Amino acid sequence: MPVEVILPKVDMDMSHGKLATWHVAEGETVAKGAPLFDIETDKAAMEVESPASGRLLSVTAQPGDMVAVGTVVALIYAEGETVAETPIQTTAAPEPEAPVAKTVEPVPTATAHPAAIPQADPAVAPGLRATPAARAAARASGITLEEVPGTGPRGRIQRDDVAAFLAHRVEAPALASPGAGAWSAQPGPLHVSSRKGTGVPLVLIHGFTADSQSWAPLEKALGADRPLIRIDLPGHGRSPRRRLGSFAELARMVVEALDDVTRGHDKVDLLGHSLGGALALAAADIRARRIRSLALIAPAGLGPEIDAQALTGITRATRAESLAPWLRRLTATPDGISDDYARAAMRLRADPALRAFQAELAEILFPDGVQPFDLRPALSRLEIPTAILWGRSDHILPWRQALSITGDFALHLLADAGHVPQLECPDRVARILVRHLLM
Amino acid sequence: MNAMTETGLRVLSYSEAIREAMAIAMENDPTVILMGEDIGVYGGAFQVTLDLVDRFGPDRVMDTPISELGGAGVAVGAALTGLKPIYEFQFSDFAMLAMEQIVNQAAKLRYMLGGEASVPVVFRLPAGSGTGAAAQHSQSIEAWFGHVPGLKVLQPATPEDAKGMLLSALADPDPVMIFEHKLLYKMKGHVPEGSYLTPIGKALVRRSGTDLTIVAGSIMVHRALEAAERLAAEGISAEVIDLRSIRPIDAETILASVRKTGRLMVVYEGVKAFGVGAEISAMVAESDAFDHLDAPILRLGAADAPVPYNPDLERAAVPQVETIEAAARRLARREV
Amino acid sequence: MTSDAPATDNRPFAIRTYAPAQLREALRRMYLIRRFEEGAEDSYMRGLIHGTMHLSIGQEASAMATCMELTDADKITSTHRGHGHCIAKGADVGRMFAEFFGKETGYCHGRGGSMHIADVRTGNLGANGIVGGGLPIAVGAALTAKRLGRDDVTVCFFGDGANNEGAFHEALNMASVWKLPVIFVCENNGYGMSTAVTRSTAVRHIADRASAYSMPGITVDGNDFSAVAEAVHAAIVRARAGDGPSLVENVTYRWRGHSKSDRNRYRTKEEIEEWMTRDPIARFRSELIAHGILDEAAADAVAAEAMAEVEAGIAFAKSSPAPAIGDVTRYVYAEN
Repeated sequence: MPVEVILPKVDMDMSHGKLATWHVAEGETVAKGAPLFDIETDKAAMEVESPASGRLLSVTAQPGDMVAVGTVVALIYAEGETVAETPIQTTAAPEPEAPVAKTVEPVPTATAHPAAIPQADPAVAPGLRATPAARAAARASGITLEEVPGTGPRGRIQRDDVAAFLAHRVEAPALASPGAGAWSAQPGPLHVSSRKGTGVPLVLIHGFTADSQSWAPLEKALGADRPLIRIDLPGHGRSPRRRLGSFAELARMVVEALDDVTRGHDKVDLLGHSLGGALALAAADIRARRIRSLALIAPAGLGPEIDAQALTGITRATRAESLAPWLRRLTATPDGISDDYARAAMRLRADPALRAFQAELAEILFPDGVQPFDLRPALSRLEIPTAILWGRSDHILPWRQALSITGDFALHLLADAGHVPQLECPDRVARILVRHLLM
Repeated sequence: MNAMTETGLRVLSYSEAIREAMAIAMENDPTVILMGEDIGVYGGAFQVTLDLVDRFGPDRVMDTPISELGGAGVAVGAALTGLKPIYEFQFSDFAMLAMEQIVNQAAKLRYMLGGEASVPVVFRLPAGSGTGAAAQHSQSIEAWFGHVPGLKVLQPATPEDAKGMLLSALADPDPVMIFEHKLLYKMKGHVPEGSYLTPIGKALVRRSGTDLTIVAGSIMVHRALEAAERLAAEGISAEVIDLRSIRPIDAETILASVRKTGRLMVVYEGVKAFGVGAEISAMVAESDAFDHLDAPILRLGAADAPVPYNPDLERAAVPQVETIEAAARRLARREV
Repeated sequence: MTSDAPATDNRPFAIRTYAPAQLREALRRMYLIRRFEEGAEDSYMRGLIHGTMHLSIGQEASAMATCMELTDADKITSTHRGHGHCIAKGADVGRMFAEFFGKETGYCHGRGGSMHIADVRTGNLGANGIVGGGLPIAVGAALTAKRLGRDDVTVCFFGDGANNEGAFHEALNMASVWKLPVIFVCENNGYGMSTAVTRSTAVRHIADRASAYSMPGITVDGNDFSAVAEAVHAAIVRARAGDGPSLVENVTYRWRGHSKSDRNRYRTKEEIEEWMTRDPIARFRSELIAHGILDEAAADAVAAEAMAEVEAGIAFAKSSPAPAIGDVTRYVYAEN
């Protein structure tokens, strides 16, 4: 089977992207990881790497086309693989005569583990594969399985796939109630994505309710040279919802992921935001010898206070209207968050299981609205270059917590920035980081 | 097991627990007798009946000739007429010599006689591999008897169950076969004092979990528990069910677990084909729990070969902690 | 029983040993067996009986004389050719027919049929479909009597075919080793299905096997009521005295084929007719008349009584209810 090339979501509030240019012409061969095409959004431009090695065929999007995220824009055939008469259609594929797709929501699994799909396995019978549980779930919710992308072995549709499909399909959040408040644990390692480059890799750990893709604006501002490694926290982005009972367990998971991804590198630089900052700090403490430098943006763990209402509000919101006010607390001024942005953000949070998981995680990490874990001693133990960046208008974590810390570090207070300066003013954050990281 | 002694609970080995059960039964009921090859002064091939002949005499602890068919049949006839014999096969493999009496007679007499007769005989059968005894002394043939209506087939995994199940078997008016794993005889664990009954046909959830269900019997319970412990460190939560009884089988406990986890693996020491795993898999597939399955069912059983002699081959021939762990991980990670 | 006859009494053992009423009853039961078998054969041909059956016409003296001194506390194990044993031991022919007709009122509630006919109340532990199957069971029953200190004996009926089964040898050995009160009664009718004893058995007389197990063995004319009664009497006395088992071989003949599907290719018409001239019932009847126990009219009355009993039994069986289909698994275990 050919590997699908999709238009990926590269920005937080992105539903469509403009395909800017192809680096490889139709019919040419491309190596896995090589630049394939560029996309532009209103906030960022990004190079997309080829998901597989082979010949690029069935190109459906031309430079300048606006394409819904998740749409298959081309297929890559392995060497010697028979080319299908007609390109394989997926639900997200645009009609040939309508290059600008209708609004089709991304399915997080559209790029589903191409490596796990055996190429032309004769043992695989054609037709739909689904587990009994997936079939039962589909029956119960009145959908046909043909619509559901399967992420199991040989494309088998599993119960989670149906749940994810339902969550993303539902437009009115009120309809997303089946399963709301409940989530089931998923095994497996944390999801890690990376970008190649030269030099010491920068490892990025996002904050609570965000995901790896929230780094896109900052990545653009930082430039394309540095290799990047992004870790999705459990139950965030594409990481499994792992069962955990404490901050320490979460930190252990992150350290495991860090150990995995840094195996080929002598040292890495580490950057974390908010909860990700606390985790970066914990990881740096545990793996001191592997970390060259540490940068923390509005880190958690440096004092008990936190705006718990905002956390609860975000995890509880089931529609854009209820999510927007809480998102506006994240930035220095409310006008930083548009209604469109809130709607896009809500779509990413449509899966009730994800919300239930994150709500439970908030309760575990911040019981009774306080930060019970204290990383100030860890900070005072650090001997590596450490920078803390904090928005002066952070409403979630007060920057003054930084003043109570002992230890040697640089403190950068950013004017007119709230809790998410990497989104609010990525260029200024990038400048500081470049200086700090000697990039 | 030191933890248990620290808590002040009494600890016995599996074989001591069985011996204690036999002694209690013989004290309380003069119709209980022991029969078997070399169970008297020798104490049985695995020393399970050690010293009982001194306490109860050779008329009640009877060394039999090497005549498994006849010996088992005498036990059946004695049971049919008022005694409660416990017949020890020296190795479970030798039960094949007595299949006629076990399957055609003991199992069927009540039915053939329209409920007018009872055969309260207990067969004890040391089973399993791991001792280097090779193909004719290492088999796990319990599933064979699972196919026979009229029999009850038990597999205690702990000293506590070994004693309680033997006492339950003696209290049962029907023939009961107890497969005791040879490698468990030295295992120690808490064993309550006095007489108590472990219910026949009731499985036990030895470890709760949410990601997958592992059903295991006998020594495989311990291997599955160790595998589950290792998997827990990776965030995989395995539920381990000790089957305890092959016949009757506790469908409810298994189905309830499958409804919860959606993933099932059956681990047993018998040859994989046509075994306990096939029965449990089919049982789940035929039940309402089918709709809860979110992955194919996995069976881990012995290799399709007689039990080999070479220690590495012998080990490789049956499920070990590592193989259980690896298979469970694949199942939990949706790689199956 | 009147065994106080003078030593000079030259009358046959049975005549001088049993009271006239006992002898009359013995004749009645022999007629009952004959009429029962004929009634069963007739019912079979009318389609009232399912499956097959093995008729014992011609072997009535062996069954009846062997059971002559047995009480309900004494046990017998029987064979696939067991109708005669069952009646001789005191069973009700109505309930036997009901069993053959597969009725709920049958001895086995319709679950056993001809091959498993039993009457536990009168000490009949059951016919057995497995050649040699009853031998170890009989030894077990004898073990129970010895263990519980009762003076009951067990008679183990088996055919010439069973003497080549391993169970025969194991059972005789154990009975002898443990000096158990069991009487092994071989009904040698000359053929194991189609194979003549001379072609299947190395010893001339099956009773010769006894010496290998250090017990008395005797071969008698199985169609001679008194000869059988005398041999079995001696064995019972020995058993009740605690001196152990005996082997009695009754040489006899079945008039009918092995089963209802036998086409009689292995025997000549002349051989069968020759044996029919040695009818054990006619012989016993003449003996009783000759010794003045009863006259022709009384003998005819006994035969008519038996005939009436069989007719009533068939009527009872026909009118009896069949088991409920939903009860197919009833009597598999004590609890259902």
